Formats: sequence, structure tokens, C-alpha cells
Amino acid sequence: MAGIAQKLASNQKQVAISEFFEKNKHFLGFDSLARSLITAVKEAVDNALDACEEARILPTIRIQISKIDVKKDIIRLVVEDNGPGIPQKSIEKVFGQLLFGSRFHAIRQSRGQQGIGITGVVMYCQLTTGRTTHVRSKIATEPTAAVVDIGLDTRKNKATKANAGREIWYQEDGSSKEHGTEITAEMKAKYQKGRQSVWQYLRMTSIVNPHAEITFIDPEGVKHHWNRVTERLPTKVESIKPHPHGIELGQLQRMVSESKDLNLNHFLLNNFSGVTNRARKELCKAAELEGTRKMKTIKGDDIRHLLEAFQGERLCDGSPAKLLKPPTNCLSPIEEMLIKKGLSKTIDSRFVTTLTRVPSVTQGNPFQVEVGLIFGGSMASDKPVEVLRFANRVPLMYQQGGCLLTKAIESVDWRQYGLEQAGGKGVPKGPAAILVHLASTNVQFTSEAKEALADNGEVMEEARKAMLEMGRGLRKHLEKKKKMAKTKEKFELINDILPAIAEKSAHILDRPVPELAGSITKIMSAVICESTTVWNKETKQTDVEITLFNYTSRVRAYTILATWPEKAGAKIIGNDTGGRKEALGVWAWKLDALQPGEQVKINYSLTGLERGDWTETEILFRGSQDVIGATKMDEKFLEEIRRQEKLQSEEVVVEDSSATGEVAQEAIPEPVVAAPEGQRTLFGGDA
Amino acid sequence: MMSRMHSPEETKAAMHEVVAEMYDRIVKGEPPTMTLPVRTKTNIGFDQKLGVYKYGKKKSVRDATSLGSAKQLLRALHVVEFIEEMLDAGKSSTLREMYYISEAWGLGKFGSQNESNNLAEDLEIVTKCLREDFKLRPEEDGARMIGNLTLRERNRRGEWMRINARDDVGDSGYGVPYNVELEKIELLEHDIDFIMAIETGGMFDRLIENGFDEDFRCGLLHLKGQPARSTRRIMKRMSEEWDLPVVVFLDGDPWSFRIFASIAYGAIKTAHISEYLATPSATYLGITADDIVAYDLPSDDLSKKDIEALNAELSDPRFADGWWQEQINMMLELGKKAEQQSLAKYGLDFVTETYLPEKLNELGLA
Repeated sequence: MAGIAQKLASNQKQVAISEFFEKNKHFLGFDSLARSLITAVKEAVDNALDACEEARILPTIRIQISKIDVKKDIIRLVVEDNGPGIPQKSIEKVFGQLLFGSRFHAIRQSRGQQGIGITGVVMYCQLTTGRTTHVRSKIATEPTAAVVDIGLDTRKNKATKANAGREIWYQEDGSSKEHGTEITAEMKAKYQKGRQSVWQYLRMTSIVNPHAEITFIDPEGVKHHWNRVTERLPTKVESIKPHPHGIELGQLQRMVSESKDLNLNHFLLNNFSGVTNRARKELCKAAELEGTRKMKTIKGDDIRHLLEAFQGERLCDGSPAKLLKPPTNCLSPIEEMLIKKGLSKTIDSRFVTTLTRVPSVTQGNPFQVEVGLIFGGSMASDKPVEVLRFANRVPLMYQQGGCLLTKAIESVDWRQYGLEQAGGKGVPKGPAAILVHLASTNVQFTSEAKEALADNGEVMEEARKAMLEMGRGLRKHLEKKKKMAKTKEKFELINDILPAIAEKSAHILDRPVPELAGSITKIMSAVICESTTVWNKETKQTDVEITLFNYTSRVRAYTILATWPEKAGAKIIGNDTGGRKEALGVWAWKLDALQPGEQVKINYSLTGLERGDWTETEILFRGSQDVIGATKMDEKFLEEIRRQEKLQSEEVVVEDSSATGEVAQEAIPEPVVAAPEGQRTLFGGDA
Repeated sequence: MMSRMHSPEETKAAMHEVVAEMYDRIVKGEPPTMTLPVRTKTNIGFDQKLGVYKYGKKKSVRDATSLGSAKQLLRALHVVEFIEEMLDAGKSSTLREMYYISEAWGLGKFGSQNESNNLAEDLEIVTKCLREDFKLRPEEDGARMIGNLTLRERNRRGEWMRINARDDVGDSGYGVPYNVELEKIELLEHDIDFIMAIETGGMFDRLIENGFDEDFRCGLLHLKGQPARSTRRIMKRMSEEWDLPVVVFLDGDPWSFRIFASIAYGAIKTAHISEYLATPSATYLGITADDIVAYDLPSDDLSKKDIEALNAELSDPRFADGWWQEQINMMLELGKKAEQQSLAKYGLDFVTETYLPEKLNELGLA
């Protein structure tokens, strides 16, 4: 964003803005009539979501598209939100100025990393239809809404406004609107259906924004609705200062020249994350610069040297300066449970698994990978799985093949997890959809079009690991399903068929009905575990029941373990069987010896969850004889949970240290730095 | 010849043995079972005394440890009960009717008619009774017959009717009923030299139109594809009671070979009653694999299924003799099959004036 603004500012005298727009429309997202419409929706919806998030409002967004002139492809787009609204005097800034709200030195995960914002839409409308964009906005503290038509003076790069006024904003039901913004834009565009459509964009948006309620009325008047499935707003993200590993020369030059710091020491300590006092000393030494140098005197080669020290190319006593990892509280992952909800509300399926990896760092930028997989239901089984890619909660709809996230999917041999995949390569086939979300303070794209993520070793590795783990979940599910079907059959056999055989044969022979216990044990010849996980409407709890049957001729003893979403804040109550916590989210019950033909039940409920949060409990066991319907406890599984637990607590330590500015934290491992691959900023290097 | 039908008491007793096997196993604390011979080509052997193929000694035990098998046992019990009711009431039903009646059997209902047919056969095999004993009738079409032979059939009113299959019938011939036992049909007299069984209706009608039955003093029998039990049964009775040769005239393809095997040696599915249905003296007249070459008949390429069938036949004990192995291998080599009616290439009369006389001549029948 900064790059465009700069370019615009520096060139505005020579290049007419329309010409600039025309030249660069392919990466501004206006290169085809179909895409222009998607981009316009995207900018408006992103703004709405961001505004609501900042104001901590649960977003309700309505999008309406109608065809004004079919022959000339003129379309009207209306986007209305319930955001905080924009004060009247700020409206023209928001809609008419290409640079508003500098985020130069603040780094955080934000949607607005793509495109040039809503101003681009206003400009596009002006250029293609000559019409202005109508804006209506109301803030809660004012009784009326401000209305204004915004256009763009393309020679002066300035907003033009007309018909400004105030009005009472009546809603459909006659009541007046409390707060929100509505824009009405008319543009040359084409409405399309399918994989690259407004519908798909909104569908994907709703998956990763489960807290949003989105209504879309298409040109045929058909209403599409995506419900709000959680009241939880995304965590408020903190801004962080840039990390030395992620700085480019141009940015450093700018920071240096704009610095108001006393000297280099202060500059380093005040403007970067991960720079402790000790690191500051090491950086100065590596760059061969005195820490007391006034900022005004740092020029040219000095800056280059400083950058080289940042990047570890210049050494201090033979090794690179030791920096802390950047904090990761600037990231806002969607979180496993909400992805699950987002996916399940949008796609009809039988099985959903999601996974949020622990945050990691690449080139000084914190990032976090999240994946989701949804399987079964009404999805086509003979087609490639649907790939749903997201960067910072923004759907990526084009250039699927060239995207790092797709490559991560393709790098996994899905055949071992129960999906079809020709030669174990490429996007697998099957009734499934795979979601990948990268949350990062600096999303790297392959090109200015910002539709495909650039290759990056660490991100790839994280995404791949997440896929593998998720794949294992799918395999387990499919195996369990198979076993469950078999178990169900066996129960039908002993509960229904066998008694019928006994009765009928006794009747025909005119003899007494025989005892069945012996036959049942011989037929089952197994220990069987059945479990149900059900939402209880009345108590608003998730009730779990685990039943263990001993259908063998010997006494059996087991420890039964069950998973529960402890990470998401769920608590176990009403657990009369007792037991103890085994690891994060794993409870264990050591059961008394189970006599042949005997059964035992474990009942408990989970609180702190919403409906649909937890629908399947994984049951594990420790014991010598196999249990049908439960998985033998793999102690590695526990180790992995404990490892993740430990990682998470380490994260906290890092955050604490950077917050207090403590120096002696050298025990924290260095983030591994990989060379950027194929990363490009908007205009190449802007040195 | 096999003993005739069983009395209702004998039938019930035989069925009770099957039920008792299940009951006793439950009493012993074991899964209930039903033991029956393996019904595949791996378990049929030539019975020297009877001159037909019968089931061997291989038994399979259907036990209730899987849902499918357990359901089969329950169905068998329902069928037994149903048959007992019919025996007591003096009624009979078709296999198809039994299939529909099973709708009311809840867990024991049949999934398809094929299942109910197979189960009826299972019971026949285990009890050594016939489905006639069970009062179960097939829907399968009996054959049509034309020729100078006379029989007596008891009609619905219980009166015996004397029928000559040349003079007392129309062009479609005499329709063979599903029950051709002595209580229903008596063979009286004939003035023919042999019986010819024909696969297709088209060829049957061609021979009648050409007056073949009179010119060659034979009885013509239309098989309608894989012949029904009653068709095979009446062929066997005519062949034995009147001491007449039987020649079989079929298409030249792997499926015809199987039809012939079921006529002459016994069908795998009904090997438990082969001695009652099969006509060991029957001869395969054509179309043979060498006919395709010798008469240069219009032919079709063998399909993948045809080739699989031929290969399966090579290991079928009923085709173990040298002539059959030769024919099957030759057909595989040619990669061709031909229909009976391909003889029409040489005109409508070619089959009656040239082909059949030549083939019958080889057998000494013309």
C-alpha cells in the first residue's frame, strides 16, 4: 500500500491517475469485467470487517448486486455494514484518497495488505461509468446519517464531493439505523457464477469470518445467507515494531531519515522488535557504527552496513548479532474450533478436522499456518478436492496452481490418508475440501496481483506438517468409520438377529427358547467400545457417554482415555467415574476388571462450548486385548501433545521478555532465517 | 431314477433337522450354523453310477458370526415356517410370491428374489427334498414342443387330456407345464426317431415352417435359453421312457456350451438333483467351433466376458473330455462365435436341407 501511494505521490505530476490505473489494473484487481466486480466487493467487505473488528462489533453485512444496463454491462453494487460508521469529515478521506492512515512503522496482521482499497473502486466507477459513488454513513452519537457522492479528480488525485447532506437512515423494517456505512457504486462489470465469483468470495469470507453474518442478493434476486456461528470476535491484534530480519533497504532508509531519535542507540531500541540492549550493542559493533551517532549523520553506506548487520552478513566477534524472535501476539489466527464451524456451516459434510499450528517466524515476520479439512457429505467424489486458500482471512481466488499453499497440499501423498491422488502428487481427488490459512504480518506474494503466495521454506514446512497431521486425522476417521460400521453390524446381529433365530427355531421345534449368552460371546469375541457425543439443548452442555462391553470369555481390565477440547476452554463436569487428567485435553479412567458379558459406562458433560463445537470424542485405551471402537494409546501421541504444550509456554516467555525489554534471554533459540524466494513488493525495490 | 416326491411329514422332518442344527448350537453356547455342500464347479464330480455330475464332499458352514450369514439363517427359518404353513393348508406358492410374502418377515426379509431362489435351493440340497415337496413353484417358462408324440396331462379340473403334439396343437406347439411328474403327465406313444432341443425361438419356428419334424421324424423342443427344470425333466423322461436319442442344437458360443452341459451332465446350481434332471445321452449337434470355419459362417468377435467364460470352462470338470477341450480351445483361437441363425447366410432352407442333414448324418440319425 505504501508503495503505491509513494509511486502515485511522486508521479502525480507527470502521469494522469487514470493512466496509472489503466497501466496497473491487472494487479489492482480490475483487469477483467468479472474480476473488477469481485475486487469491488472484496474492498468494501474487507473495509466493513476491519471496521467492525476494530470497533469490536459483530459484523452484519449485506451485499446486493443488480444489473443496471445489460447491454453495456453496467452493474450496481450496494454494500451495507453495521460498523461504527465514518464521521462526515472523514468520508472523503476514506473513499477519495489513496493513502489514508499510514501504517509505515506499525506491523500487524491486517486484511488491507491487498489491493489499493476502496478508493480504487471509486476510481474504477468514475473511469468506467463516469458516475460517482454514493456513501451513506452514520455514527452512533449523531442522530442522522451523512450522505455524499464521492468522485475523484483524476488530475489532482483528490476526492470530489457532491450532494453532501444529512438524512435519517431508515431500514427495511422502518426503524432507523444506529450505525453503519453503505456504499452504492455503479461500474462496468460482469456478474459470473462458479469458482471465481462474488458468491464464492463471500462464501470463503464467511468460512474464515464465522463471527460475521453475510447476506448476498444476486442479480436474479436470489438471497444467499451465511449465518453467524459464533459471538466471538477475532482477537484484537497488537501492532509490533518491525524485526531487523524483515527490513528492506528502502524501508530502513526511510526510517532513518524520518527518525526523531536522539542517536543510533535509541533508534535501534525504540523502533524494532527483538532488539535487546545487548543486541543493540552487537548490531552497532557489527555495523562498525558508534551507538552515539546522531541520526542525521547516518547516511548511504552507514545504512547499508546497518542492514548487513541486521541480516547477519556483518558479524560481531565472528557471529551475527543475537536477536529475539518477534512477538506473535500481532497475529490473529481463526483458531481450530472456529474454522471447524465456518467450514461446517458452509459445506455439508460428515467429518471436519482443523489444526492451528504454533506461530513461527520467517525473515523477522511472525506467521502462523492453519488448515482445515472437510470430508464426505454431498461433495463430489470424482473431482479434485476444493482448495480454499486464505491470507490474513482474505480469500485467494486466482492463480491457485502457482501458490505456495497449493504446493503444500500437493506435496503430501494423500493416498495414505484415504484420498485418491494420481501418482501421489498434485491436488487429490475425493469428496473433500482443504482449507489453508496463512496469518502473517508480511504476506509475500508471487506477483503484484496478490493472488498466490510466494515460495518460502519455513511457511511451506509448517503448512506441510499441518497437512500431514490433518491427513492422519482423516485416516483415523475413515478407519474408525469402517470399524464402527462393523461394530454396528455385530450389535444388530446379537441384539436383533440372534434372538430371532433362537425364538423361531424354538417355535418350529416346539422347544424352550435357549439362553444366548454363550453364543453372543462366541460371535462377538471382542471388547467393544461405543461412544456418543451429543449437544444437550437444555443444559447447553455437550454430553459424552462411553460404554465398554466385554464380549469375551475372560476378565479384562483397561484404562480408557478420551479427548476433550481443553485448549478451547471446555471443562469436564458430572464425571462420576473420576479418573485423572493425562495431558492437555486428554482424560484417563482406570477401570475395574470387567467380567465376561459385563459392560461399564462412563458419563460426563463438557461446559464452556457452543453447539457444534465438539461432535466427536476420540476414545483411546491402554490394555493388552484390542478394543473395537477405540484406538490403542500411542504414547507418541501423548508426547506430541506435551511437546506442543511446552512450545506454547515457551511462546509466552518470548512475549514477556520483549515486553519488559529484558536483555538476558539468550537461551531463546534464534529464528531460522531463509533467503526470500520470489518475493516482490509492488514496484520491485523502492530504494 | 431318483425317488419321487416326499410326503408332507417326511418333508417337515427333513426341514426340522436343519432347524435343530441351529437350535442345538445355541444351546451349546455356540453360534448357530447351517451346513451345506459347496455349490461351485470346484465341488462337482462325475457320478459313475448315475452318469451325471453331482456335488462332491466339500461342505461349507454358514455360521451366524457375520450379519449376512446370520440373516440367511433367520431367513431359512422363516422359509421353513412358511412351507410348514403351506403343507398344513394344502396350498402352494410361486418363488416370487414367497419373495413378496417375505416383506412381512421383518429382519428376515429377502433383499432380492435371487436370494429367495437360492435359499429355496439351499433347503432342497440340505433336506434332499424337491421344491415341489415344499409347494414352491417357479415362474420360469416351460418349453414348447412339436412332433408326432402323444401324452396325457391332468388339467386343472383333474381330468386327463390326451394331446398329440403335432395334431392337437397350433403353431406354437405344446406348452410344457412346470410340473411334469407322473401325477401330472404320462408319456403315451410316439412315432419319431429322435428329439432335437433348440436354443432360439427363431430357429424353432424356422424348422417348423420348413416341416423338419415330419421330414426327419423328430420331436422339436424349444429350450428358451437356459432350460427350466421342467424342460430338462421332460427331456430326460422322453429319452429314458421312450429310449430316444436327444440332439441339442444351439448357438456356437460359450454360453451355449453351458446350456448343453446343464442338459447332459447336470447344472452346477442343481447338482443335488442332477440324476433327476440331466440327460447323459444327449449329443451336442452344433453350432461347433469347427462349423464356423467349415461353413464359413458370419461371426462376431468374442467379448471379454466370452473369453473369461471359455477359460472358466476349460477348468470345469464337465468339459474335461478331449472333444470339448478341443472345441473350447478352437473357439478361443478363432476369437469368434456364431449364432444358429447365421446359417441363413445361405438361404432359409440351408439349415434344413444341408446343415442339419449333414450333421445328423455324422451321428447316424439321418
